[in-house]
This record gives sequence, structure tokens and C-alpha cells, in this order.
Amino acid sequence: MITLLLFVGLGVGLLLLLFLLARRAPSVEGSARGLVEAQRALHTLQLGLLPEEVVERIFASDDLRFVEANAPLPVRNFFLCDRKKIALAWTSRVRNQVLRLKEYHFRRSRFYSQLSFSTEASLAISFAALLLQCRLLQLLLTLGGPYAAPRVVTRTVGAATRICEVSAKSLAFLTPARAHTFGDESPEDHAAAL
Amino acid sequence: MNLRKITLRHCESMMTDFPDRTEVQAASADLQRRTLVQMPRPLDRLIYLASTRDYNTGLYYHDGLAARFSQEVACEALAGCHREAFRQLFSSSVENLVGQLAAYRDSSHLDPTSFISAWKELEPYRVAVPAGTDSLAVDFLLSNLKIALAILEARQTRRPMAGLGAWPRPSPAR
Repeated sequence: MITLLLFVGLGVGLLLLLFLLARRAPSVEGSARGLVEAQRALHTLQLGLLPEEVVERIFASDDLRFVEANAPLPVRNFFLCDRKKIALAWTSRVRNQVLRLKEYHFRRSRFYSQLSFSTEASLAISFAALLLQCRLLQLLLTLGGPYAAPRVVTRTVGAATRICEVSAKSLAFLTPARAHTFGDESPEDHAAAL
Repeated sequence: MNLRKITLRHCESMMTDFPDRTEVQAASADLQRRTLVQMPRPLDRLIYLASTRDYNTGLYYHDGLAARFSQEVACEALAGCHREAFRQLFSSSVENLVGQLAAYRDSSHLDPTSFISAWKELEPYRVAVPAGTDSLAVDFLLSNLKIALAILEARQTRRPMAGLGAWPRPSPAR
């Protein structure tokens, strides 16, 4: 009886595994949606969240100094509270976009790009480190306020930029070399990304 | 995220052909030279350019520019300048924003108290944001403008008191 139950259990387990594998199959690879999402995430990071001018403004300490010297206490508190919200929103958005890129790399990139195993492995470590850094930054900002961790911000931006560079290489085939046409992206599009 | 393309979709909807990129650049330069040059501050430019936009359609209109180029080209040029003004304002420090706001208030020739209370209550800068702007950038700029307004208000309430302090104290004999 026990042996029968064991076999039945094993059979059910195998069926379940088969079902899960079958469910995974359609999401694979070939679907352009994942690629487009990854490209969008990359675009958001490179043009919207990571440019120096954006990061500098969000975490600008000269604003803090000016407000502390010129504003009454309630305005100072309002400023710190608002900046904290924005800093946390920025961190959370960076993390979300990095997660999208990670998903693309782990599930799809091998089907499209020619990244070597060692590159993939180092990329996996970089993703894990960056995601951890984002969590750490969120914690520090929550506990200490928007100006608590400028070095962690700089390190996070640096790590995210490096990951973007690698991702951009593997997604390069999606960006055709085109002549400047109307609606084309250009450096001026920083404004657009804002 | 890509605000340029969103505005383009607006401008495209009324076009038969894509406007030529060089024409749009020429129209932008023309707008800069003739109109925007008179507005040295990004805040002034942002508010002016937002006022050329139809709230119902999101399209920009400028008769002079449309007469020289075409309605589509004018629309795209205005949208581009609007985005640029937003970007410049986004990059301004709080200190700089306070200065811009004070200068804008002075140029309006309104009573400073009424100006500040109207801006605090109506928040007119909210409708001056270009279409499709990233929400984080909008939140950041609106927050900075609120802070700048509060600092300006604090300065203003301090100033009359400082002014009163400068009056000679009435002598007890009087």
C-alpha cells in the first residue's frame, strides 16, 4: 500500500513538473514582447533615471543647504519629506527596471545574443549585487532620509550604468543603424526622457 | 517615458506627411530668436509655451510660426521648446527656482501676496507640464516649486516685519 502511494505521489509529482514545464514553454524566447520590454527598461534607465543631471538634482545637497538656511522649520520638514519620497521612488524604479533587464538576460538573452558563459555568470553576480545595493539604499533612505547615503547612490548608479552597457550590447541588434529621421532619438532626447 | 514621441503622435494626427526635421529646427530657431529670447528664465518660457497648447487636444498653436512654416512644423517646434524649458527648469536648483519665481512675480506687476496665494491655491504650474513627462520628473519639479513658493512667502512675511522694525519707535512722551 505504501509503495503504491509512493508511486502515485511520484506520478503526480512528475505530472505537475510536466505541467509547469509546459506552461513555461510559450513564454520562451521568440516572443518579441520580452525583448521590447528589456529595450524599454534600458531606455528608461539610460535616459530617464541614470543620467548624471537627474541623479545630481534628486540628491543635490546644495538644495538642502539652501533650504536649511532660508526656510522656516515646517518648510524644511516638508522639503525633507518630499525629497525622501522622490529618492525612494527613484530607487524603486531603478530596481524595477534592473529586474526587467535581469529577467530578459536570464530567460532570453542566450537565444539572441552571443554572450559567453563567463560573461553571463559575471552578469548574474552583478545583477544580484546591484539588486542588493538597491535594497540597501532603500533601507538607508527610509531610515536616514534622502541625504543619508550619497556614496551608496553613486555606487548604485555606477553599477546600474555598467549593467546597462552590457545589456545594450546584447540588445544592440534591436537598434538598427538608421539615419536621422524625424522622431529619431538623439542626445537632446534627455529632455524627452524626463 | 519618451515625451517627444507622445507629442509627436499628437502633432502627427493632424498631418498628412511628417514635417521635415530641418524645418522643425528652423522653426525652433525662429521661435527662440523672435519670442523666447525675451524670456530669459525657463519658468517664463515654460508657462508661455504651455499657454500655446490647446488643453483639449494637446496640440500647440502659434499663428506667426504657422504662417512662416506650417501648422504641423509649428506644433512640433513649440512642443520641442516646451520640453526643453521643462528640462532646464528640472535642472534648476531650489535657490535658482526661488529667484525665477520672484522675478516672474515681479514681472506680473501683481500684489505679491495675491500672487503667492493664487499660486498656492491654484497651482497653475501643474498644467504647464509637457505631455507625457515622466511622473518622477513631474513630482520632483512640482515639489521644488512648492518649496520655492513657501520660501518666497516666508521671505515676504519677514520683509514687512523687518520694514516695521526699521520705523523709529514712538517716544513714550507721544
